[in-house]
Amino acid sequence: MSQQPRRQRTASEPVLSVENLRTEFHTDKEVIRAIDDVSFDVHPGETVGIVGESGSGKSVTARSIMGLVDDPGRLLDGSSIRFRGEELVGKTEDEYRDVRGDGIAMVFQDPLSSLNPVYTVGNQIKEALKLHQGLTGKAATDRAAELLKAVSIPDARRRLTEYPHQFSGGMRQRAVIAMALACDPDLLICDEPTTALDVTIQAQILELLNDIQDAEDLAIVFITHDMGVIAQVADRVNVMYAGEFVEKAPVEELFANPRHPYTQSLLESIPGRGDADERLQSIEGDVPTPHGAATYCRFAPRCPKAFDECDAIHPAHVDVGEEDVEHTAACLLYPDDLPQEEALAIHQERQTEAERTGDGDAQLVDENTPPEEEQ
Amino acid sequence: MSRWKYFLQRLVLTVPILLLAMSIVFLIVRAGPLDPARAIVGMGNPAGYHDVAVDLGIERAVRVDGEVRYVDVPLWQQYVDFMAGLLTLDLGQSWVIYPETSVYEVIALRAPRTLWLGFWSVLIALFVGIPLGFYAGLNPNTWGDYTASFGGIVWRAMPNFWLAVILVAVLSNSQQLFGFSWQQLVVPTNVVTAPNLGFLTDPGMFLSDPGRAFNQLLGATKQILPAAIVLGSSSMGNEMRIGRTAVLETINSNYVETARAKGVSARSIVWKHVFRNALIPLIPIITAEAFLLIGGSVIVEYIFAINGLGQLFFTAATKGDLPLVGSLAFIFILLTLSLNVLQDFLYTIIDPRVGYEEN
Repeated sequence: MSQQPRRQRTASEPVLSVENLRTEFHTDKEVIRAIDDVSFDVHPGETVGIVGESGSGKSVTARSIMGLVDDPGRLLDGSSIRFRGEELVGKTEDEYRDVRGDGIAMVFQDPLSSLNPVYTVGNQIKEALKLHQGLTGKAATDRAAELLKAVSIPDARRRLTEYPHQFSGGMRQRAVIAMALACDPDLLICDEPTTALDVTIQAQILELLNDIQDAEDLAIVFITHDMGVIAQVADRVNVMYAGEFVEKAPVEELFANPRHPYTQSLLESIPGRGDADERLQSIEGDVPTPHGAATYCRFAPRCPKAFDECDAIHPAHVDVGEEDVEHTAACLLYPDDLPQEEALAIHQERQTEAERTGDGDAQLVDENTPPEEEQ
Repeated sequence: MSRWKYFLQRLVLTVPILLLAMSIVFLIVRAGPLDPARAIVGMGNPAGYHDVAVDLGIERAVRVDGEVRYVDVPLWQQYVDFMAGLLTLDLGQSWVIYPETSVYEVIALRAPRTLWLGFWSVLIALFVGIPLGFYAGLNPNTWGDYTASFGGIVWRAMPNFWLAVILVAVLSNSQQLFGFSWQQLVVPTNVVTAPNLGFLTDPGMFLSDPGRAFNQLLGATKQILPAAIVLGSSSMGNEMRIGRTAVLETINSNYVETARAKGVSARSIVWKHVFRNALIPLIPIITAEAFLLIGGSVIVEYIFAINGLGQLFFTAATKGDLPLVGSLAFIFILLTLSLNVLQDFLYTIIDPRVGYEEN
C-alpha cells in the first residue's frame, strides 16, 4: 500500500459526474450490455480508480465518457455523463469534438501503437496544441518542447523531430501523456496506461502522473486490472465486474476492509499478500458476458460465498462502511448487521423499484436470455 | 542508418540484379535449343548461314591453308560480347521481323503505343480503384461499400481476353445497342486500330497546329480507352480491395483512436492520419502492376490491334528473332528495375521507419 497521504475530497462540484451509464452493443446475433448502471463522480484534483478483470467493461466506460463508442454500440436512454455541469450524452460528433481533448484527454493502453508511425512526435503534439490552444509555428514548437520536458524526456527539442519508432516504450507513453497535456484538460482518463510497460518504467509513469496532477489540479480516472497500481495512484476505487460496480470505497478502506467477495478474491490473488508458503489464490472461471439488465448476482457462479438467493435477487449497493466512510458494496450478504431475511428484503425492494422506473427493454432481453446461458 | 542512405543502398543493389538478369537472358537466348542464325536464314541455305552466324558473333572465320573455315566462338566470349553490347546500349538490329532495322528504330515505332496504353490503364487503376477502395474502407458495411466491393470482385474476376472481345463486340454494335455510334462519337475513330500518336513524337504540333494536335490527342485517347479499361480492370479491382483493407486496418488502429480522443476532426483524421498509412501497403501493388501494364499485354494489344511492345516481344520470340528478344528483354529488365527504384523511393518518402534498424 502507498505511504503517501491521501488527498481529501473537496466539497467542490464534481468535474465529471456519471449517472446510470448503460452501454449496449447490438450485433446480429445478440445484445451485449457492456456497462450496466454505472455511476460515479470525479472531483478536481482526485484520482478515481476503476479496477476489474479483462472484459469487465472498464475500457468501454472510458470510451463512453469520451464519446468514442461507435456503432453498433450505443448509450441507453437514462444514461447521463455531465462534465463541468454540461450533459455530454446526446451530443453530436462535432459538439463532442470540442469536449475531447479540450476538457477531457485520454491516455491509452498501448504506447507502442497510439502514436502515428509516419509523423514525428513533435508534429503530433503540435497538432493538439493547434487544435486546443491555437498555437502554430515557433510558439507551438516551444510549447511542445516544454511539454516533453515536463514529462521528463531529455533533449526535448531534438526529440520533437524524431519519429515514434525512435522512442522506447516508456518514452512513447510519456510522449502520449505530453500530447494529452497539450490539450490542457481538466480531466485525464488513463486506460491501463502502464500495462504494456515494465515495472520500473511503470513506477516512473505513475510518479509522473502524480506530479502532473499536483501541478495542474487535474482530475484523473485511472483504469487498470492491477490492484497494486490502484493502491499507488487512486484516492477512491470502484471495483467493476461484468459491467457493474460491485464495490466503491476509498483506497485504504478497500484494501483494509474489502467487503464484496469479488474484491476479497481479487486481493487474495495478488502475489505476496497472503502467507508466504500458501499457494496463490485465483478466481476460477471467466467474467460472463451480460446480455441485459441483471435479475441476479453476476458474480454468483464464481462466488465462494454464494447461496440460493444470489441467483434470484439482484444485489443493490448498500452502505458497508464505518460512520463517515463512503463505502458501498452490491452483495446480498450486506447489510450484515441485519438478519439475512431483512437484508434480502432490502435488495428485493430496490430491485422492484428499479424495474418499475423503466428499463423495460432490458426485461424483454432477459426473457430471451435466461441466466443459465450466461456462464 | 538514415532513410536516404538506405535508398542509396537499394539503388546500388540494382547493379548486381541487372547483371544477373542479363546473364539469365543470355542463357535463355544463346544456350537454348534455338539456333538464331538458322532461324534467320531459314533451312537449306548453308552458304548464307555462316555469314549470318559471323554477324551474330556465334562463329568466326579463320583461314586454314588458304581455305576459309568457320569455328564456333566459345560461349564465354559470346557472353562478354553480349553483356558489353547491351551495357554500352548497343542493342543491335532485328533480323527476322524487321530485317536490317536497328532495334532502336523498331522500339521507337512500337513503344509509344504500349506506353500510351500502359499510361491510361495505370491511370484508370489508380484513379478509380484506389478512391473506390478508400471510399469502401471509410464506409464499411454500407450499401456503397457492398456495391464497390462486389464490383471490385466482379471486375477483378473477368478475364482480359473475354472482356476485350465483349467490349469490342459491344462498341462495334453500339448503334444498334445504345442508339449512338461509338465510332462517330466526338472524333471519328475505328474500334480496333493502333492510335495515331503523331503528337507524341512531334510535340511542336501543339504550337504550330493546335487544332489538329488536340484532335489527334482526343482521338488517340478515345481509341486507347476501351483497351486501357480492359487492361487496367484487374489491377483496378486489386487496388480497390487492398485499398479497402488498408483503410479499414488503419482506421481501427490505436493512433486513429488517440487522434479522435485528441479532438482531431474527422476530415483531418482521414487525410492526415489514415491516408498516408493506408498508402504503405498499396505501393508495392501499384508498382508491380504498373510493370505488368506497361511491359506486357499481348492479348489486349492483339485484340485491339495495337501493335505495341508486348506483341512485338511475342512475335519476336515465336519467329526466332533472338537478337531482338534479347534486346527487348534488356529493356523490360531496365523498366522493372526503375519501377523497383521508384517503389523504394516512394517507401522512403512515405514511411519514416524505412531503413530503421534497432541496434
